[in-house]
Amino acid sequence: MNFYKNRNVYAFLSILLFVASFFVIESCSSKKLVAEKPGALLWGENCIRCHNAPSPSAFSDVQWETIAMHMKVRANLPEDDIIKIVEFLKMAN
Amino acid sequence: MKRIVIIILFMLGNLFAQDIETLTKKVNTVIPGQSRFLLRGYAHSGLELIEGKTSFVGGSFNPIFLWQQSTKLLFEAELELELEDAKTYLALEYANMSYFLSKYLSLRLGYFLLPFGTFGERLHPRWINRMPSTPLGFGHDPVGPIRDMGVEIRGGHNLRTGKINYALYITNGPRLNDGSDPELETEEAGMLIYKNYSDNNTNKAVGGRIGLLPFSNSSLEIGISGQYAKVGDTGTRYKNTAALLSAVDVSYVRNILFFKGVLDIKGQFNRVTVDNADYYSNKDSAYYSFKNISGSYYMQASFRPAYVYNAFFKNIEFVGRYSSLSFPGNALWNSEQTQWAAGINYWLDWRTVLKIAYQVTERKNNTDKTASENNAVFIHWAFGF
Ligand code: HEC
Repeated sequence: MNFYKNRNVYAFLSILLFVASFFVIESCSSKKLVAEKPGALLWGENCIRCHNAPSPSAFSDVQWETIAMHMKVRANLPEDDIIKIVEFLKMAN
Repeated sequence: MKRIVIIILFMLGNLFAQDIETLTKKVNTVIPGQSRFLLRGYAHSGLELIEGKTSFVGGSFNPIFLWQQSTKLLFEAELELELEDAKTYLALEYANMSYFLSKYLSLRLGYFLLPFGTFGERLHPRWINRMPSTPLGFGHDPVGPIRDMGVEIRGGHNLRTGKINYALYITNGPRLNDGSDPELETEEAGMLIYKNYSDNNTNKAVGGRIGLLPFSNSSLEIGISGQYAKVGDTGTRYKNTAALLSAVDVSYVRNILFFKGVLDIKGQFNRVTVDNADYYSNKDSAYYSFKNISGSYYMQASFRPAYVYNAFFKNIEFVGRYSSLSFPGNALWNSEQTQWAAGINYWLDWRTVLKIAYQVTERKNNTDKTASENNAVFIHWAFGF
């Protein structure tokens, strides 16, 4: 039991430590308003969070629309971001 | 002369009109309607060296079907076809329909990957998981659910300089193995079974997750998930036995231009607490009880020098993972496990990867005071399409 409790504490501490270090690193970076970001930037920042970001040429305009809908549900991405990202992907493919 | 010009113009106009007509017809055949279908998926194969045995594995293939009925309706389904023990297994991974209620909310019904942490819902597909294996407690003998049948609302919202996402669901929920079902392992009494397709009781599991991305570049996400349900069979002494499940997850993905690459850190911590209950031991012909808390977690870090000029090195990725699993100390299924894994990946394209990894797992058992260590080497090729 002790073994387990200790592990819990270590896990929590390491997560806390990680999170704290992110805050230190990120607080130095710019505080740009999300609503003002263009599609290309949103694509670069969001589509790499779970998997490598697909290049715009990976799919056709029509396919991008269905994929964007799938990702909107799966990744809980805000609709405003998705609209801008799809516009960018269609323009750049 | 004038007349001839008019006749020529008339003939040309006719020809042109015909061209436009045939062209329009041709274009119409390729313009998609409102209802659209997309077939995607992934496959994997590989070689594994585990406990002195070397075997080619995989040959598994997961087709994903997406039907977009309109701008508001989506159906998604995934199958898994796998060879195991000289048989081909077909499994339904998920099948659910979504309706977009508003900009910020969609409704889902069916069999879906649960937003309980992130591994099950977002990271387990073989072309996404940077390791060829799953962390302890997230694959076989899971601590926490991966998928379930029910209804859910979910969505996401931009904050001023960050994002928030949310999901709330009601599902059948897990079922308690109370040791009396001959189809289940009696020694595993107290364990939760997450395959509960026709619910064993009238109670439903209620759960959800909130994810916060505090920075405007969306690099960090912290999520908290919970689920509560009565898990015992109706009409038995366990009918009021309940389980509380919780999870914390983190994800940090960032271009580190100084090191010319992408750093990706992922982690999840799961905990399952089942109410104390008495289980019958056939061996001792008596009831026994134990504090029924299980936990598991993993932390993973990977780095890919994606921005170096060398065409070979930019596709290489280094990855390390630590995971741990703990089943209740006094249960017959007690086990304490830890695992280290280190690997190198080579990305052939954005969703096709060759993974080589070395993994060491240590197991301790309180009941029979045994300990064992197991080393494994994996060479996998995951192929997304
Ligand atoms: C929160 C995690 C997450 C984010 C963020 C995310 N994806 Fe995905 N994506 C997934 C998962 C998980 C799958 C695999 C789906 C499956 O296997 O069921 C996937 C699959 C895909 C696929 C394969 C086809 C399909 O629809 O399954 C494409 C293409 C894709 N994502 C593009 C994108 C794009 C473009 C973005 C940015 C707008 C994005 N993803 C952001 C998790 C994510």
